[in-house]
Amino acid sequence: MLSREADACYWIGRYVERAEATARMVDVHYHTALESNRTLFAWSSLLSVADAVDAFSERGFQMTDEPVLAYFCFDLDNSDSIIRSWTAARENARTIRDEIASEMWEALNVTYLELGRWNIQLLLRRSPSTFFSYVKESAHRFQGTLDRTLMDGEAKEWINLGRFVERGDQTTRLLDVKYHDLLPALQQAQNVGGSTQTQSSIPDPFGIGGPLDEHGWASILRSVSAFEMFRKTHRDGITPVNVVDFLVLNARFPASIRYCIAQSTQSLSRIKAAGATPRGHEADRIAGRLLADLTYTRANEIIASGLHEFLQQGQERINALGDAIAQEYLTY
Amino acid sequence: MGMFAGYSSGLSFDELIDASGQPHPYAKVLVDAINDLGPAEFERRQALADLSFVQSGVTFTVYSDSRGTEKTFPFDLIPRLVPGSEWTTIEAGLAQRLTALNLFLHDVYHEQKVLKDGIIPREIVIAAAHFRPEFIGADPPGGVYVHIAGSDLIRSPDGSWQVLEDNLRTPSGVSYMLENRAVLTRIVPDIFRNQRVRPIHHYAAQLIANLRALAPDGRDNPNVVILTPGSFNSAYFEHAYLAQQLGVPLVEGRDLVVADNIVYMKTTHGLQRVDVIYRRIDDDFLDPLTFRPDSVLGCPGIVNAYRGGNVALANSIGTGVADDKVVYAYVPDLIRYYLDQEPIIGNVETFLPWRPADLEYIIDNIGNLVVKAANESGGYGMLIGPKSTLAEQADFADKVRANPRNYIAQPLIELSTAPTYVNGDVDSRHVDLRPFALYGRDGRTTIVPGGLTRVALTKGSYVVNSSQGGGSKDTWVVDTDTTSEVPNAIA
Repeated sequence: MLSREADACYWIGRYVERAEATARMVDVHYHTALESNRTLFAWSSLLSVADAVDAFSERGFQMTDEPVLAYFCFDLDNSDSIIRSWTAARENARTIRDEIASEMWEALNVTYLELGRWNIQLLLRRSPSTFFSYVKESAHRFQGTLDRTLMDGEAKEWINLGRFVERGDQTTRLLDVKYHDLLPALQQAQNVGGSTQTQSSIPDPFGIGGPLDEHGWASILRSVSAFEMFRKTHRDGITPVNVVDFLVLNARFPASIRYCIAQSTQSLSRIKAAGATPRGHEADRIAGRLLADLTYTRANEIIASGLHEFLQQGQERINALGDAIAQEYLTY
Repeated sequence: MGMFAGYSSGLSFDELIDASGQPHPYAKVLVDAINDLGPAEFERRQALADLSFVQSGVTFTVYSDSRGTEKTFPFDLIPRLVPGSEWTTIEAGLAQRLTALNLFLHDVYHEQKVLKDGIIPREIVIAAAHFRPEFIGADPPGGVYVHIAGSDLIRSPDGSWQVLEDNLRTPSGVSYMLENRAVLTRIVPDIFRNQRVRPIHHYAAQLIANLRALAPDGRDNPNVVILTPGSFNSAYFEHAYLAQQLGVPLVEGRDLVVADNIVYMKTTHGLQRVDVIYRRIDDDFLDPLTFRPDSVLGCPGIVNAYRGGNVALANSIGTGVADDKVVYAYVPDLIRYYLDQEPIIGNVETFLPWRPADLEYIIDNIGNLVVKAANESGGYGMLIGPKSTLAEQADFADKVRANPRNYIAQPLIELSTAPTYVNGDVDSRHVDLRPFALYGRDGRTTIVPGGLTRVALTKGSYVVNSSQGGGSKDTWVVDTDTTSEVPNAIA
């Protein structure tokens, strides 16, 4: 397919995923904060996940519900707001209407028109969850329509690639920031136990395993709809190692970083196979190596050597993958 | 008469209802079917149709509108009818006209016999804004210049048809014709019953077959593409729609590159050769090496590749000389000259200020005439005498005197009307008709029965252009005589 169209497909995938991820994250944060202490669930931590603390405060906004919700949902100057993301997905789809099924375009367009009817006052009046559910369902309608109507082929793979690169990126950032928010409690627990090993579970109401801490980890899991699946997988409880294991290394959970990279790798190899003369060797190499690392690393090793460093490196490698894809498939 | 009670079309010929207020014989089944639906249900269906266009994003772009550049093209549920017997004449008339215009173009870019024989003054042709002297002597495949045409037809109060103008560069609107029909069959299937409406959906199949036939020799499975200026163009929806219907890539100039005089497109798996380009970009923007050097819409080198026979263009370059509004006045003469036939469909009487006698007449009668700039479209740059102020008339008279080659004048034709659903009522509105003609490499003309009926939604207005508040209707060619033959659509 045309490189320009492949690029547009990739960004449709990314923007729809970004709108959904933002809806999930803000939804969970807002509702978790209702029943917990406001210092741990300050809006500032969510803004740092989105890398938006400076942009937000530079504009003189207060970190209270209304301006923050408006910023994430409707702000036209915030390029990652739900409305901007969806509009960008729809605009990309508009430039490749000939490549995708009409019903896919309609799924994007109908939500785009509906979002235009919403604003922050309406969201607060009707309850935020109504709005966030609508965004999530719209993303699913798009994905469902795609599954049902789009032929197997490059367009599908490029959208898929964008979707999983974005999802992996969102999980990485969520974990990086939230882990730091919860770190003080973690360190306190470690000091009490007099040990640097994190596997131990200490019955301290304010430390690991305590109600407050558990509430925090649970909210991370809920932000990516992982809570129930996590429970099934790790029956011994919510510990940092288990959460990292689940969100970074799990092979079967759709928002884990490893799963996202595995899906991206598969899309890349199908894209590669679609051409008469194979390309994309560098992209393959970077993705394959990253996947190998995620496959053969253990959660406690990651924490021992520093989760933050691990995630930072992961981001850099995902960026390098993006560069290689652009270089080998998209630019002339 | 139900919803049509009290309906009047004034002085105009009406497409559905005769002067006595009764439906024409060919419109009776339709009028009855609409009345059977009743006003409340009809209102509901109209709302459904409007929603359908919004949701599917069947839109056009309005350049002068800064807020929200996409608009839907208002669609009226009541179709406009053309009886099969009249369609036969229209079809023959348009085929005749298009054949003559293609012969004219070949002549103008080769021997120029028509100029030497004095049928049309040389100055007129040379001064036409879209005449391309750079292209003299070049040979398009099969010697055909115009493959896709859309001439606008109007109907006088006496019911006769005339050509108002020819569109021979990048005529648009065919996507609306096809979408209107698709929406109408879905929203009001009831009104199609008990009559035979000729199908139109074979347009795409015919178009792709014609385009493939233009491919350079030896290119067995040619790569046909549609070239669009991009998603900001007013007709972008149509470009994307056609690409989808034809199953071909929709490319922008930046997707193309010319190497060794061959056009390629940039794909994820390397460069792929392009054989035929259905371009929806004007000549001026097609190739910065040949035409406007500042254009970023086209692709450098494309014109030379075309000249070299390595790629085909539809339409060819320089076709605008034949749809120039001044050249228009000579088309009946061109038909006589090239085909030795009388025109089957005539022109609207046209005065050319370029001729001194006509100039006098125009200045004296400007209040009764429609004056048009020769190279404007979309309803811009025109004066409708009877609807203008004295100051506007004086202003236009000055413009015409200053630049007589650039204007034409025509009497104001009382355009025909069709019943249109406006604010809960059926009322008369002026309409025109743009049938879409395809001209094959072998010289065969195909016109799908019908076309785009454009309707001026403001009461009494004659301006049907979408950019000026016009809407559209589905156009039915109906056969009431059940013994007449209805051609089957190509699958």
